[in-house]
Amino acid sequence: MEQSVNYLGLIPLFPLLGAVLIGLVHVFTCKKIKVPEMVYGILACVGPVLSFIMALKVFVALKALPAESRFLGHKVFTWFSVGDLHIDMGFLADPLSCLMLLFVTLIGSLIHIYSIGYMGGDKNYGKFFSYMNLFLGSMLILVLGDSPVVMFVGWEGVGLCSYLLISFYSEDKQNVLAGNKAFIVNRIGDLGFVLGMSFLFWGIGSQGFDYISLKANVHHLSPAIALTVGLLLFVGATGKSAQIPLYVWLPDAMAGPTPVSALIHAATMVTAGVYMVARFSFLYAHVELAGSIIAWTGILTALLAAIFGMFQDDIKKVLAYSTVSQLGYMFAGVGVAAYSAGIFHVFTHAFFKALLFLGAGSVIYALHHEQNIWKMGGLKSKMPKTYITMVIGALALAGCPPFSGFFSKDEILYSALASGHFGIWMVGVLVAGMTAYYTFRMIFVVFHGEPRDQKAFDHAHESPGVMTVPLIILAVGALFAGFLNLPAIFGGDQIVSHWLAPSLTEHHPHTSIFVEILAIGASVVAFVIGIKIAYTKFGQGASEPAFSGFTKFAYNKFYVDEVYNAIIVQPYKAIGSSIWKVLEPNVTDGPVKAASKLYMAIGTAFKVFQVGYVRVYAIYMIVGLSIMSLFLSQSLN
Amino acid sequence: MNCWPPKVHLPKKSTKKGALDIMFADGLFLTFAVLAVIGAVGLVLFRHPMNGAMSFVITLISLAGLYALLSAKLIFALQLIVYAGAIMSLIIFIIMFLNIQPDDLPKEETKLLYILGSIIVVLPIGLFLVKIVKSLPITSVEFMDNNFGGVKEVGLLLFKDWLVPFEIVSILLLVSLIGAVILAGKRGTSK
Amino acid sequence: MIHNYLLLSIILFCLGIVGVISRRNVFTVFMSIELMLNAANLAFVAFSRFHENMDGHVLAMMVMAVAAAEAALALAVVILLHKHKSKLDTNVFSLLKG
Repeated sequence: MEQSVNYLGLIPLFPLLGAVLIGLVHVFTCKKIKVPEMVYGILACVGPVLSFIMALKVFVALKALPAESRFLGHKVFTWFSVGDLHIDMGFLADPLSCLMLLFVTLIGSLIHIYSIGYMGGDKNYGKFFSYMNLFLGSMLILVLGDSPVVMFVGWEGVGLCSYLLISFYSEDKQNVLAGNKAFIVNRIGDLGFVLGMSFLFWGIGSQGFDYISLKANVHHLSPAIALTVGLLLFVGATGKSAQIPLYVWLPDAMAGPTPVSALIHAATMVTAGVYMVARFSFLYAHVELAGSIIAWTGILTALLAAIFGMFQDDIKKVLAYSTVSQLGYMFAGVGVAAYSAGIFHVFTHAFFKALLFLGAGSVIYALHHEQNIWKMGGLKSKMPKTYITMVIGALALAGCPPFSGFFSKDEILYSALASGHFGIWMVGVLVAGMTAYYTFRMIFVVFHGEPRDQKAFDHAHESPGVMTVPLIILAVGALFAGFLNLPAIFGGDQIVSHWLAPSLTEHHPHTSIFVEILAIGASVVAFVIGIKIAYTKFGQGASEPAFSGFTKFAYNKFYVDEVYNAIIVQPYKAIGSSIWKVLEPNVTDGPVKAASKLYMAIGTAFKVFQVGYVRVYAIYMIVGLSIMSLFLSQSLN
Repeated sequence: MNCWPPKVHLPKKSTKKGALDIMFADGLFLTFAVLAVIGAVGLVLFRHPMNGAMSFVITLISLAGLYALLSAKLIFALQLIVYAGAIMSLIIFIIMFLNIQPDDLPKEETKLLYILGSIIVVLPIGLFLVKIVKSLPITSVEFMDNNFGGVKEVGLLLFKDWLVPFEIVSILLLVSLIGAVILAGKRGTSK
Repeated sequence: MIHNYLLLSIILFCLGIVGVISRRNVFTVFMSIELMLNAANLAFVAFSRFHENMDGHVLAMMVMAVAAAEAALALAVVILLHKHKSKLDTNVFSLLKG
């Protein structure tokens, strides 16, 4: 059924080994000797680059197979086997995971190279790269795992690494709190994932719990359980991929270093949820209700995040909300059963979002860690490479026609329209306009107009080559990645969709060309309107606006964090402190302390016998023998 | 190995000389038994260990006589050479080596009381054992042939059937030798 | 006839126990233990005689070897104790007191 190749396990192994090696080097040398940063940099980049080469090898191997049997597997060892549950530590490479693999390792490698420059001079240089490699390794396990359980290993691994990296600058308490928030919110989602996995096993797990067996047996699942499993797995996805209601951690995750943000937003972590839904496409294709819920959650998240994004004044927060918004699109795509469209958007998004984050990082680096866009301005002349690449990224994000984001976003909107989800389509078009608006608001404020902070402007400079080269590579990707899946109307043949077809269970609706033109036209119009408004407001330079009314409400993110704090965190704290202060000392401590006192008393009573003289112990023994003899001689008669 | 109960051998020649021998043997047994008990009581009662050791030597020699009566020729010899000879002379040597003054000895004012109490405690054990012995079948005495208990016979048995325990005991002796050297050979730890 | 030997063995053994648990002098305690070993030896040899089997003799030899080993170690310990405390009283050592 599937061909076994033994090099699959190596792909996640390289970064994991790198993480261990770098970690050990860092631990043993951080106190005494200073290891040159170049050593760490080279060590850190070797793993991801080797993984990328292996991923290419996997791609070539898959390409050589006939389309219907493009499955490469490798069972490394039996992890555990309890009753009906047999879990192998196995890896599976099919077109879906291969696509993920390619761009995760490529973009991961580029981000690693970029980090060599960006993190220069940090005193925890080694620790940073150790975590980054671990992060990438976890993501590769997640992508390659051949069963939900192995996927969960990677799932938890990226959760852990996001916590470690978000609170990387741990001297500042705010950063640590942001890390905590990410971790706790992710845990809530993980609970859903674990429950979903348990239900799935309860339903059809006994016939094998890897994806291929699950796919073969999914029709045995009753509709109610299928719906439950689908929704619970989606709860996991909302945590990992930052959807309503668990999106709150992602904007706070900006506390980490910028390459980490790029890694989280582009290559790893947040795409895991979309990947998971696509991976379970055989399940979701059977339960339309779950699909609709996912699609609506996604598109509403997109809308909400776009509203927030329009009023942010931190360059990274703007990008963060744009990620949440784009993730919403992806979920809308997979929700309307256009899995290949969703995954394609993941793919293109990885390029332009990594590009934007690394570009933003370049700006922040140039301005000595200034992140407020209202303190920038006019940087176009100072940083031409960063400016051009970022504009390319922004155009891709906003959905300007020839750029990659346009094709993938349009594919999602078209699928929504074609499958009859008019509401989702209309909201999607609206969000597309808003996306164009807030993206170019950021570009105009940062790069155009007059410098707002003359002193910072004078010190600004273009970033070194190690940072700009990855930007240029990513810009090329952001420009041309869209052509990989050119729809038929433009004379393309949808390579990616056809490539993904064996892994996914989806039906391509056949509609008239009018619908397709309508979808494309609406997207373009929304883009043009959005960019026009942004230009008229910010194109010539504008000062920081004052917020009032609705805008103030949106600037403060609808006070969602405050509401969560009031209705969930505070009651929890109150319950906890009441248990600690009232219940514990008065109720539960009593029996516990009484028991200890009882044993103390018994011990004190028996202490009398421990006189310390060896002779007396002999006497005890003899007395015991004597009593035994008395009884035995009774019975001897 | 023989099973219990043993074969009962009647004396082959029920001559007058044999009966006299038995009477003579009974007398010897009584003498040795009384001496052994007196020696043991002396060991328990004497205050100074030197007196106790001397009294214990009497017990050991009497026991050697009893072994001879039981036609255990090798054990008789070993009892005299190893026990009464080597081990007891070692003990006495150490007692003398330590040059014990009466002040060094523990003052046991309530010694007799203790002994009385321990006899009361031990009595049930003794009575129980006596009861068991009484329940054993009675066997009569016989004269063994000359080879019983000789060096050659016991030696053959020792090196055939008991070789492994014998070797283990040799290792035990080696270990105790090393242990004694290490324990007693420590210098400079006191004072 | 065997009964007499066994009864003597019992008497000697019980005297040994009395010596061990009632006396405080290290040497007396040690020799009392030797007395108990000898009582056991006597029983071995007596049984051996009445079974016409020499295994008892071999066991008696083993006991003697063990007694010799014990003597060597015990006397080393006694010398150590005397060196440290200049006392031969077992009650001097009561580190196990609770």
